[in-house]
Amino acid sequence: MIGNLILGGLAAGSLYALVGIALAIVIRVTDIPNFAQGEMAMVSTFVAYSLLDRYGLGWWAAVALALGFAVLQGVAVQILVIRPLIGGPVLSAVIATLGLNIVLNSIAGMIWGHETHIFPSPLGDAPPVFVAGVPLPLDSVANIGVALAVILGVTLLLRYSWAGLALRATSQDAVMARLVGIPIGRSFALAWGLGGLAGGIAGVLVAPALFLDTNMMGALLIKGFAGGVLGGLSSLWGVFGGCLVLGVLENLVGAYLSPSFGDALTFIVLIAVLTIRPEGLLGRVRMRKV
Amino acid sequence: MTGRRLLLPLAAALLALPWGVGGYVTYLLTLTFIYALVAIGMNLLTGLAGQISLGHAAFFAIGAYATGLLTQRGLLPFPLALLAAALLSTGIGALAALPALRLRNLYLAIATLGFGTVVQKALFEWRGLTGGGAGLELAPPHIAGLVLNNGRALYYVALAVLALGLWCAGNVARMRTGRAMLMLRDSEIAAGTLGIGIARFRVAAFALSTFYAAIAGGLYAYLVRYINPESFGLGLSISFLGMVVVGGLGSRAGPVLGAVFFVLLPEAFRGIKDAPGLVFGLALVLAMIFLPRGLAGIAPRSWRLT
Repeated sequence: MIGNLILGGLAAGSLYALVGIALAIVIRVTDIPNFAQGEMAMVSTFVAYSLLDRYGLGWWAAVALALGFAVLQGVAVQILVIRPLIGGPVLSAVIATLGLNIVLNSIAGMIWGHETHIFPSPLGDAPPVFVAGVPLPLDSVANIGVALAVILGVTLLLRYSWAGLALRATSQDAVMARLVGIPIGRSFALAWGLGGLAGGIAGVLVAPALFLDTNMMGALLIKGFAGGVLGGLSSLWGVFGGCLVLGVLENLVGAYLSPSFGDALTFIVLIAVLTIRPEGLLGRVRMRKV
Repeated sequence: MTGRRLLLPLAAALLALPWGVGGYVTYLLTLTFIYALVAIGMNLLTGLAGQISLGHAAFFAIGAYATGLLTQRGLLPFPLALLAAALLSTGIGALAALPALRLRNLYLAIATLGFGTVVQKALFEWRGLTGGGAGLELAPPHIAGLVLNNGRALYYVALAVLALGLWCAGNVARMRTGRAMLMLRDSEIAAGTLGIGIARFRVAAFALSTFYAAIAGGLYAYLVRYINPESFGLGLSISFLGMVVVGGLGSRAGPVLGAVFFVLLPEAFRGIKDAPGLVFGLALVLAMIFLPRGLAGIAPRSWRLT
């Protein structure tokens, strides 16, 4: 029983983590909490759905194309919406992402309607795996694995590739980075593209577990934020850990205290962490010169 | 000065309007006044003090429920209930603003988002008090023995409160408090070195804006006379912020213009389900990029708050 709850919580938490990582990458480089991240992921998932349902592509082909779309979408949003606002107050960019959130939701409603659709999973019929004697749907195991792979990939990219190095330099000091010849526009675009990719992966994994509809990412976005803040948005592993802890806590509280309290807990944790330790459990305080 | 000269004819027109238009238009106008009140408070918070809230639907809801419950259970007459609800909400707002003391904008947005969601959850779950998801029906309110059972009466109440609210906000912005908040927005470091109590003014701005939201919520409860936790979600919070942004951050007329825009939008696109959302969202994005002063940026300088 309790083992089941914990593993289920880890599976849910790894979905939060994918959203959280998407948010964290963007925040790290551009300092902007992207409130449109969830809706961007929702649109990418619908693109996958259309490719599957209307154009009859196979699952992997459809998802690969949709993830390509997710990356391009992230880059396009950065260039069209965010770039004109760089240098102004962060507030303006935050408001722009909120506006974009509404725009994308409305556009998706116009194209795909507000009813729920069923999004298949390639692992839907596979038998459960047994972890420490607890049966676990293969989907959940895959979620954890994919989240781990994404975070590992992003970490390696940031650490060992030239683009990643440029991105880290940009996030530390954009002016200095530009002075030494780093095309910081490209770093910003890369960050938003990576964010779009991680979000898109989350969308494709969430849709089979729930239903596919225009509002499916709303709650996930908030949980991604909450988990990220809990672990510390400045550290990718912190985001991952925070989201896993959140998923498990939610499951346990939901089962042993009250089901509706599980959700409220997210926000109580969120507010408590922000009050007591705003940089998160694993985050570092970023010193800023005055 | 043109602004001042327009004021008298505008007031006369607003006073006469409900006698010339139908009940539905009166309702829409009252709704506009109510939203404008929230937006005025948000303008003090965002336009003046430079802080962002994604949780003001919660304070609007607290105002609505507290006013409704206090009058419905015969504890207080309507005007006093409105005031008590607003004070309660301000107290909660001041407490909720405590994390804001240490947080940058980014985290404040996330914290208020969380707070808004907790309050909505609580309204759903506290069935004994709020009626939960079934909602709460309200009988028409009384003021000094008069029953406000037609739309016109509430229109005048809302108009009067709006006028008072505009006047107060104008004064706050002009006085010491407002200047301190403005300084906070432009540079906290500079404000600090000048001896402005950053924490104090941050909390004050937040609390003040929740006072406006709660008064508006109380009026709203009696405008629609049926309140349900469903209506006080994140979407409404974003809309409140959006009104100020579209109307014009930091301008005096901005919140009112934004509220007019927000109420008219669904009317203009009646029957096309997603069109109002699309236009409102686009307006937010485009306002940020091309028109940072919002609709009021087109208006004469004398109408600006700062």
